[in-house]
Amino acid sequence: MEPHPHILSLEGVSKVYRSGEFSVTALDNVSIHVNGGEIVAIMGPSGSGKTTLLTVAGALLRPTQGQVQICGINVSNMGESQLSAIRREKVGFIYQSFNLLEALTALENVRVVIQETHRNGRGSATERATELLKMFGLSHRINAVPKRMSDGEKQRVAIARAFAKNPQLLLADEPTANLDAKRGHEVMQLLQQLSLELHKAVVVVSHDNRIRQFAHRILWLEDGRLSDHG
Amino acid sequence: MLLIARKNLFSEKTRLAISVGGIALSVFLIGILLALFRGWSEKVGDFVENVPADLWIGSDGTTDFIAAASLLPDYVGTYLDLAPEIDLVSPLIVRPTEMRIAGHDRNDTFDVQLVAYDPAVGLGGPLRTTGGKEAPGPGEIIVDREMAKRRGIDIGDRLVRSNKSLTVVGFSSGGDFIFTQVAFIALDTAADFYGFQSDNIRSFYLVTLHDPGRREALSQRLELSAPGIEIITGEFFAQETRDRILGNVLPILIVVLVVAFVVGLAVAGLTIYTATVEKSREYGILKAEGFTNPYLYRVVFEQSLITAILGFAVGAGLTVIIAPFAQDAVPQFVVFVRWQDIVGVAGATLIMALLAAYIPVRRMASIDPVTVFKG
Repeated sequence: MEPHPHILSLEGVSKVYRSGEFSVTALDNVSIHVNGGEIVAIMGPSGSGKTTLLTVAGALLRPTQGQVQICGINVSNMGESQLSAIRREKVGFIYQSFNLLEALTALENVRVVIQETHRNGRGSATERATELLKMFGLSHRINAVPKRMSDGEKQRVAIARAFAKNPQLLLADEPTANLDAKRGHEVMQLLQQLSLELHKAVVVVSHDNRIRQFAHRILWLEDGRLSDHG
Repeated sequence: MLLIARKNLFSEKTRLAISVGGIALSVFLIGILLALFRGWSEKVGDFVENVPADLWIGSDGTTDFIAAASLLPDYVGTYLDLAPEIDLVSPLIVRPTEMRIAGHDRNDTFDVQLVAYDPAVGLGGPLRTTGGKEAPGPGEIIVDREMAKRRGIDIGDRLVRSNKSLTVVGFSSGGDFIFTQVAFIALDTAADFYGFQSDNIRSFYLVTLHDPGRREALSQRLELSAPGIEIITGEFFAQETRDRILGNVLPILIVVLVVAFVVGLAVAGLTIYTATVEKSREYGILKAEGFTNPYLYRVVFEQSLITAILGFAVGAGLTVIIAPFAQDAVPQFVVFVRWQDIVGVAGATLIMALLAAYIPVRRMASIDPVTVFKG
């Protein structure tokens, strides 16, 4: 089988939200291609369509027009269950507000994703989750619940969870927005290091200019239109 | 069991307690009402069902033992004596009678289903004697142990009606009809006690046959040759008596059972729905991560099921523990807990769990995973 050239490929993608007679174009003919081991930062003002771009790229929303391919698979016209499967197997998300499950410990937050994604037994999933948390410097916090963790720790657990699925594509939405400068820097460094080592394609959507230094490419999104920037 | 279901459920202990409490209350109410119904059913049919007669013969239109407005024509006894299939004939006079204990307040009366029978034949007399004499002599009465307990009647007490009295000489069991009990006197005593002008007044004849398989044939012959009588089997008469008493109570019981079920369902449904709404963002995260809807539905169903199991355990436990105390405190509160009813209540609880999960599941299906990227 011929290897696919891009992990993520958006070709002429538009997204229009319609409500009655009104319509808003959130994305307008956007094309991006991201390879494994590459970090692409997408920056732009509020309301420019960054989150829409991320959700379309992450197989959460179908584009109104254009084609989205993840690992060479066209997901543009897939049904809900197929999109779920793509997200489960190919895409890892990192959120601005961490989005950990509050009742679960750090270990359980990671383990539950491994169990569901890889259908692993509890023993091997626990082993893998422990290993991941250790990799993210959280071996001493595996039994802590989110409300007992610092924001930096929460974000590292969230990244560990994203890596737990061993996805080809990582999509991060403002990953440093809720972190102080030092923690933000540490998190981005970790993300950069692991994505390079593990050859993951990373798309980071952010307002934060500190992201620039970690990105291979920076794209500017304004009014749903994309342009190279810096 | 799914980790998320268990963790979410037990992380909110107050809500879990409310939910379990609601179901437990419902299970307890359903359980205790069913046990009460069974207890009453057992008691009110017990005497009629266990009298060792093949047939009861009463006047036409007699439907049950309690409202025993049966008055038989004179010739029936003679006719029965001549029937070759019949082994024993025992005449009975059954009358609801208001009595009081001699020396007690005149208004302190109680209802007795007084049964006058022939002690020489024995059929239709006490099912079991539990103290004192086995059969009443002239001017004597044997009362049901339950009545003695409720009214504080002792052997040697005199029970009074108008200006006549009977001396208590023994206790029997198996004649409790909840709101009244049977007491036994001899036929000869009845004529004097009630002031009958005739010695041939009879409410029923109880008969046993040489061959119980001839019941049907004898019944048909009697109906043709002795009009104005009703020939009834013990089982049918017991059922009619049960229906007479419980038929009035049953609709009320059903209404309360339905209310109890709805209360349990409402509490469980509301708490599980609230929990789902509160965690909707987390369910959105799971959807975004690629967890399927069936997985999330399972989370809700499992939460509902665990709540129901806990509620059932508490409610059933309360029923079994509290029922005997209630019975001691209120004599009419006769309960009989059957395992089949417990299984039935478990089934109702399961239905409650499934219904309680239905709306939360629908809510969950509508959660849009994109919302987790907002805020």
